[in-house]
Amino acid sequence: MASETVAKAGGAIAKGDWHPAGSSRSVEALLVEAAGELVARPAAGGKALAGAGLSWLDISGRVGSIPRRVTFPDGSVFETWDNDGIDRYLAARGKGSAGFVHWLEQFRLRLVVIVLVAFALGGVIYRWGVPALVEVAILTTPPIVPQLMGQGTLATLDKTTFSGTKLPEARRKEIIDGFARIAAQSPRGAKAYNLNFRDGGIIGPNAFALPDGTLVITDQLVELAGSDTEMLVGVLAHEIGHVELEHSLRQFYRAAGMTGLIMLIAGDVGSAMEDVLVQGGGLLALSYSRAAEAEADRRSVELMAKAGYDPTAIARFFGVLEDKLGDRSDTSILSTHPGTPERRKDITDYARIISGQSDPDLQ
Amino acid sequence: MASADTAPPAATAGAFHRIGFTGRASEYFGIWIVNVLLTILTLGIYSAWAKVRRNRYFYGNTVLLGRSFEYHARGLQILIGRLIVIGAVAVLNLVSILNPFLALLPAIAFLIALPWLVARGLRFSARVTSYRNVRFDFVGGPGGAFKAFILGSVIATLTLGILTPLASRWVARYVGANLRYGGKAFDTDPKLGPLFKAWLMSAGVAVAVLAVVGGFVALNFEAVVDAIAGSAIAGQMTFSIWHYVILVVYIGFFVLFGVVGLFYRAAVRNIVWSATTFDGRHRLLSDMSRGRYIWIAVSNVIVTILTLGLMRPWAAVRLARYVYEHTGVTFVGDVGELFSAIEAQGSAVGAEFMDFEGFDFGF
Repeated sequence: MASETVAKAGGAIAKGDWHPAGSSRSVEALLVEAAGELVARPAAGGKALAGAGLSWLDISGRVGSIPRRVTFPDGSVFETWDNDGIDRYLAARGKGSAGFVHWLEQFRLRLVVIVLVAFALGGVIYRWGVPALVEVAILTTPPIVPQLMGQGTLATLDKTTFSGTKLPEARRKEIIDGFARIAAQSPRGAKAYNLNFRDGGIIGPNAFALPDGTLVITDQLVELAGSDTEMLVGVLAHEIGHVELEHSLRQFYRAAGMTGLIMLIAGDVGSAMEDVLVQGGGLLALSYSRAAEAEADRRSVELMAKAGYDPTAIARFFGVLEDKLGDRSDTSILSTHPGTPERRKDITDYARIISGQSDPDLQ
Repeated sequence: MASADTAPPAATAGAFHRIGFTGRASEYFGIWIVNVLLTILTLGIYSAWAKVRRNRYFYGNTVLLGRSFEYHARGLQILIGRLIVIGAVAVLNLVSILNPFLALLPAIAFLIALPWLVARGLRFSARVTSYRNVRFDFVGGPGGAFKAFILGSVIATLTLGILTPLASRWVARYVGANLRYGGKAFDTDPKLGPLFKAWLMSAGVAVAVLAVVGGFVALNFEAVVDAIAGSAIAGQMTFSIWHYVILVVYIGFFVLFGVVGLFYRAAVRNIVWSATTFDGRHRLLSDMSRGRYIWIAVSNVIVTILTLGLMRPWAAVRLARYVYEHTGVTFVGDVGELFSAIEAQGSAVGAEFMDFEGFDFGF
């Protein structure tokens, strides 16, 4: 120890301020290396204020050019703006200078690469990462979850809005028979689905599917269809499509994933940008729900064709909607469902495509 | 400790000292883009460490009397806090999905936990902040947080915003009067008069803009109706005019209330900070120009969006510089003597506290 004298004459590592432990009182000081230890000495001269071997010190990591803190074992602190001095010393001791993250952060040409990689990765995460996570979440969701979701929702609706069906037994039987024919075509089998009739109350004409395979059709919708049972079966095939493709779970996980992503980078994008992103995310979620509707429409066409029904039956339903409810609205960024005329066209087009491939006689 | 070595800070005269901000957009750009990149690469886990680097950069560049503030939180604390919050939210949401009768459960649980979370969050933020080697502390409890943040917002909402100044005052007093530095107290008591004046001016701007726009629409009512009717005839447009109208009105309100909110926020900050004292003698001051503040905030968002986020670091540094450089302290007496006497007090003394009970819940 005694033989190892100060190598650099007057070679202070850095100039700064020294604080006793827990005190704001400061002494202008120099950080020097003496006898193998790092020592804080008063700049005005005098005995050492604090000192210790490098491995006993806590030196704060470098961020930009903010002051560095060297904390001694006795709790006293040496603070300096001289980042380069500290880094030179650390590099000479083989302590990795200011670290890899700081090296990346420097405003050099290589930042262009980092920007491009960050943008590309952001796009990859949005395009493939989130959908992949959604698939993983769906695969790992125990079957009990959709079951409980379905039962809970139906129980709530029964207590709040629905009442028992008032349809005649014979009419229900027709629909149930038609439904059984298409449900048998679904890979999940007819047992996976459970059709319920309800008086829709304020909900009015509607049909929907719950994630556990519970389907509900309201009396009002059946009445709207008149005597056209095939059309109702087409609507139910559409709902089976939603269940098969697990749209409600997907939508839930997707929304959760996107919100999570935005929240994670929120601190770095600022609160105003976060608002803009969240609003934009809401619009994107709407367009996602339109894609889900179109998918379910196509599934309806397939199931109906397989069961020997008119594959475009659901298009007739949209025709009725247009006539009776005056729904002529076009698709826009703000709507959850595609515009009705547009949907009818897509359905007839798709029916032509699959019939052309699977059953030329239908043409 | 020996007292002969007390070196005074750069300026010793008891006078007005402005806070300075030394951050640079180019320097922060590197930190920011690396934060974003590593957050994406680690699927969000790095965001906790990203927050530390971001805050260390901004605190470390906020300079008073030649010395900067410092942020001491560690990534792991923030990560654990976030995991706890995410876990709780996920469990509560799952419960509400499984049983829709408990749909309000997350909201209720959140309202009950909020005062506690706010108080803890403020204490965490204060205790991980230091100036001249002494940490801040926050002694407010959940009761005060309930009054300031929940009761205040409820009253402001119920009175259609008219009592917002009262809520602002409660928040300011809760935060300002419970803040400690080295065992000495901050105190603030903003008067209701100026707060109401600021609110009236903000509300006046909103009403004036709405009146001008509303008047314009009313005067040109026929033209507006014609435009709508014309589009109905045009029929197959992808966007119908109604959707445009909804979109424009929506964005219009978003922007209008955003700008009015900025106006009010700047005014409140000036009033509250200028009504704040430290140790009963030293007065704080904020003298931001409302117009300039709004201009900076609004142009920041526009530039950030136009550059796909790439100018966000520039925007963040620009706003921080404006806000901090319009903040200052009038010290009474000798500043060197003042800071020689301040010692860390109570439980905020060391970093040990943080390891045992300090998690950042992000409130």
